[in-house]
Amino acid sequence: MRGNTLAMALVVLAVVFAVVAGLYAVGVLQFLVSDPHASHHYTHAILFGVLAIASLIGANFARSKGTA
Amino acid sequence: MGLLQGATELFPVSSLGHAVLVPSLLHWSFKQSDPSFVPFLVLLHLGTAGALLFIYRAQWVELVRSFFTAALRGKIETPSERLSMLLLVGTIPAGILGVFLEHELKSLFASPTAAASFLTVNGFLMLGAEVLRRRAERLAAAGAQTRIEQEERFAVAEQISFKAAALVGACQALALLPGISRSGVTIGGGLMAGLRHQEAARFSFLLATPIIAAAGVLEIPQLLSNPVPLGEYLAAAALAGIAAYLSARFLLRYFRSGRLDPYGWYCAGAGILSLALLTFRP
Repeated sequence: MRGNTLAMALVVLAVVFAVVAGLYAVGVLQFLVSDPHASHHYTHAILFGVLAIASLIGANFARSKGTA
Repeated sequence: MGLLQGATELFPVSSLGHAVLVPSLLHWSFKQSDPSFVPFLVLLHLGTAGALLFIYRAQWVELVRSFFTAALRGKIETPSERLSMLLLVGTIPAGILGVFLEHELKSLFASPTAAASFLTVNGFLMLGAEVLRRRAERLAAAGAQTRIEQEERFAVAEQISFKAAALVGACQALALLPGISRSGVTIGGGLMAGLRHQEAARFSFLLATPIIAAAGVLEIPQLLSNPVPLGEYLAAAALAGIAAYLSARFLLRYFRSGRLDPYGWYCAGAGILSLALLTFRP
């Protein structure tokens, strides 16, 4: 049960990270960037993409523990 | 510069600190504030990452396969799967800090004084890690006859906790400061996590590869967009790779029984000497 709650939280986190990655990629988000005038921030987008994937992996581990 | 970077990247003496300090002390014509300076260093790092990939090529194939297997299964069943997840956890802190503090840290690259100061700190960090390790050895390795026996009482990389991997990863983030050695602080962090010296070095080298390679790939467009002698830069990267290969081979052998002490004393001494030269030179 606790594992499933954690898994859900990590999935939500992954979605948030994915949205942030998308916003950095299209240049909407300018938070903590070295060049605010740049049209895209691919480095930040890649980082948040990796964090989204890591969160999904974490969710998969938590789900497995919850069902075990 | 290629040989210097390749040799100093894996030795725990801070390649970045040396790359900033040596040209400044020897009055080489590198402009450290030039936009192509950091991408040039990153290209040298790519040579180093290539050498590490070559040394651990079989292990990386196994790690990548294990990573996807464990991620899809949602369960860790083999030591290799565990190591692949430990590396993911260890890579994230440096990735986050590297991306968000990149700009601020690049401005520090232009300061040899900052590099010399951090090199001194780096030396004392490694000496401190060895002091703590000796204390742990007295408790855990009592009765061991030789250094190798002493070392065998400690863990291999696959056995450390995820919390410890995150700690070593956080140590790696410190290496974004010029003068702080990535391998020095991660080996030191590995020792505090209870790893053998040789295993701490192996974990450090494995942890370095993805972050160095990613940083290199991301900086290449900036390198290509500047008018630079690309042939010379690539030759330097190849030399860095060769030096890194030889360094890694030496260090993995050295850390079977060796300690961080000589490198700690070297960094502390070189940092203090550099500070003096930078302060009092005409």
